[in-house]
Amino acid sequence: MRQTLFTTVSAGALALAGAASAQEVTLQFWDNQQTESGLSQFQQEAVDRFTEENPDIAVEVTTIPYPEYQQRLLTAVQGGNAPDIATLDQIWVGAFAAAGAVADLTAMAEEAGLTRDGFFGGAWDSAVVDGALYGIPFNVDVWQFSFYNAALLEAAGVDPESLTTFEGLRAAAEAMTGDGQFGVGLFGHRGEDTVAVVNSFIFSNGGAVLAEDGSCALNEAPAVEALTYLQDLAQFAPDGILNASSGSMRELFLNGSLAVEFWPALEQPTLQQSEIDWGFVNGTAPEGMTPVGTFGGWNLAVFESSENKEAAWKFIEFMTREDVNGDVVDLIPANVAAAEDFLAANRDGPDRIMEHLSNAQARPLSPRYLEVAEAQMTLYQDVFSGADVQEAADEACAAIDALN
Amino acid sequence: MTRKDRWLLWIFLAPSLGLIGLFLYWPMVGTVIESFYATSFISPNPEFVGFDGYREVFSDRDFDDVFWNSIAWTLGVVVFQNMLGFLAAMLLNQGLPFRGVTRALVLMPFVLPGVVTAILWRFMYDPQLGLVNSLMIRTGLASETSAWLANPDTAMAAVIFVAVWKGFPFSMLIYLAALQTVDRSQLEAATLDGAGPLRRLWDVTLPAIRHVILVNVVLTLILTFNYFDIVWVMTRGGPQQATHIFPTKIYETGFGQFRFGEAATYGVVSILVLAVLVALYVIVQAGANRRGRRT
Repeated sequence: MRQTLFTTVSAGALALAGAASAQEVTLQFWDNQQTESGLSQFQQEAVDRFTEENPDIAVEVTTIPYPEYQQRLLTAVQGGNAPDIATLDQIWVGAFAAAGAVADLTAMAEEAGLTRDGFFGGAWDSAVVDGALYGIPFNVDVWQFSFYNAALLEAAGVDPESLTTFEGLRAAAEAMTGDGQFGVGLFGHRGEDTVAVVNSFIFSNGGAVLAEDGSCALNEAPAVEALTYLQDLAQFAPDGILNASSGSMRELFLNGSLAVEFWPALEQPTLQQSEIDWGFVNGTAPEGMTPVGTFGGWNLAVFESSENKEAAWKFIEFMTREDVNGDVVDLIPANVAAAEDFLAANRDGPDRIMEHLSNAQARPLSPRYLEVAEAQMTLYQDVFSGADVQEAADEACAAIDALN
Repeated sequence: MTRKDRWLLWIFLAPSLGLIGLFLYWPMVGTVIESFYATSFISPNPEFVGFDGYREVFSDRDFDDVFWNSIAWTLGVVVFQNMLGFLAAMLLNQGLPFRGVTRALVLMPFVLPGVVTAILWRFMYDPQLGLVNSLMIRTGLASETSAWLANPDTAMAAVIFVAVWKGFPFSMLIYLAALQTVDRSQLEAATLDGAGPLRRLWDVTLPAIRHVILVNVVLTLILTFNYFDIVWVMTRGGPQQATHIFPTKIYETGFGQFRFGEAATYGVVSILVLAVLVALYVIVQAGANRRGRRT
């Protein structure tokens, strides 16, 4: 009896030891969730697949709601409890790199043969700080697509293609505003969605937020013209623009009282489930120019504090692989080949989305981006309040240039 | 108390005092120290700047906005919350039918979480879909819809209204308890002497509960000055800084822009204002206790 017990206990101990040695490393991976798309489950399935391919590495996935993500991540980093890997918003990479919080992945990427060519260029560039690579693009999207209510356009005799020009959008907005209906879903609350949409009008007019030398370009002619255009366009937007977000516009669009809303392609699953007869065009630019969207998306970064950088890199390689990337994102895969398959399977107008992604421009890659964005939000709120655009832009530029 | 008892007292108190010091006062001291350094997420090595950080913050236009907004917010909420709370307590102190049910219903706003209240009222204030505009137009109080939270002239009043709506049951509860301690015989004597309801209120009820009123006012001053979630969820301090108060500014500067030194400076100013309010509370409370012992 005693012999049997000893054998059983020994076998159990050996099995446990075997299991422990089989998974020598446990990685902590943090991501955020922006939609109710079942992302956590898809990521867990991918992790199971990764673990099968790499039995010595276990991964614990933590999915955090988007509104809390920035604060949770920042607190973890400051408190010395950063995960091994996390998704970083493109606009945070500069700050996290300057803070020394994330690891330089240049050598690992070169060794693995991961290059800019395999990803959307703007997304790859968002991870490069002073020539070093601090992340691998994970998912992307672009602000904005103009989603329109086909029935409202038809009733007003508006050709959807006319929405792609500044002049056409204004005329359409005017024609479709009145009797409790609004032509265009402009919003101007203090949020990054406001910055991204207004930027796209500035980019499409040939303007920029920062010039190549890093100085503010918001008070130069192309930006001021675009802002003046938006100030005028705002008369066809729902009241309350200064406290309205993309979410508020979605509510109006879905109840049929808004003709055109500005969203990334991420909006499509919501519209596909609605009863609205909708379509979309790629942004808006002056006649003869191509609309340029604002890039958005997330990169996978390895934290400097991680003791398992090699294992973390393996996980990043896996998650951005062509056959995996499309299964683990709720935006669009950053891997171009994966994106093509993903869009064909999940989105209307995949070719147009690919085209808009290829034209998109990143937001300023500055370690002080969040402060630049703060000055932009103040400027855009001033513009939507009817302030003198040039004066407001000069003031914003003074604040931005003072950061240098 | 013998010397041994005193030692024993301190031994028993030590764990609690240690925990309070560690989790309450040490972060506060840390904030004060941090406010003398230029620190941000991207500058991991803090640079000592002494009072320069304060000078910079005080000379910033934002500081004036935040300071005066905080004053308007705090006074607005405290005055109306206490007035409404007192009126509600007076009503519920009468022999109304269904008094228990009414009390429970009046308490509803107070038990709702702040974030839920803020989301609910964001919808209510919505210029296109909200109930507030719809009701005002139907009742003839307005002829067209207003964007209450998007207009810098009305946003502060709109958030104050919500905070009062949520907070007045708290004041009401305290006043109701106080009203029930007023000596009935004095009220009856005043009635016999020909005093009407207002005279009885002014000469009998208010003097009898004035220490409770003072304590309640100071307490709501402290709670309101520190309030965060209603303002943040409803306006994020906007539009154009119109509703930015100390807690929202501290959060936005620290967590939104990674500027910890500046956030700490705002935090210290906030702590100083709160310290004054707490001192006021202690003085008022001590006065109330003295009066209580005398009577």
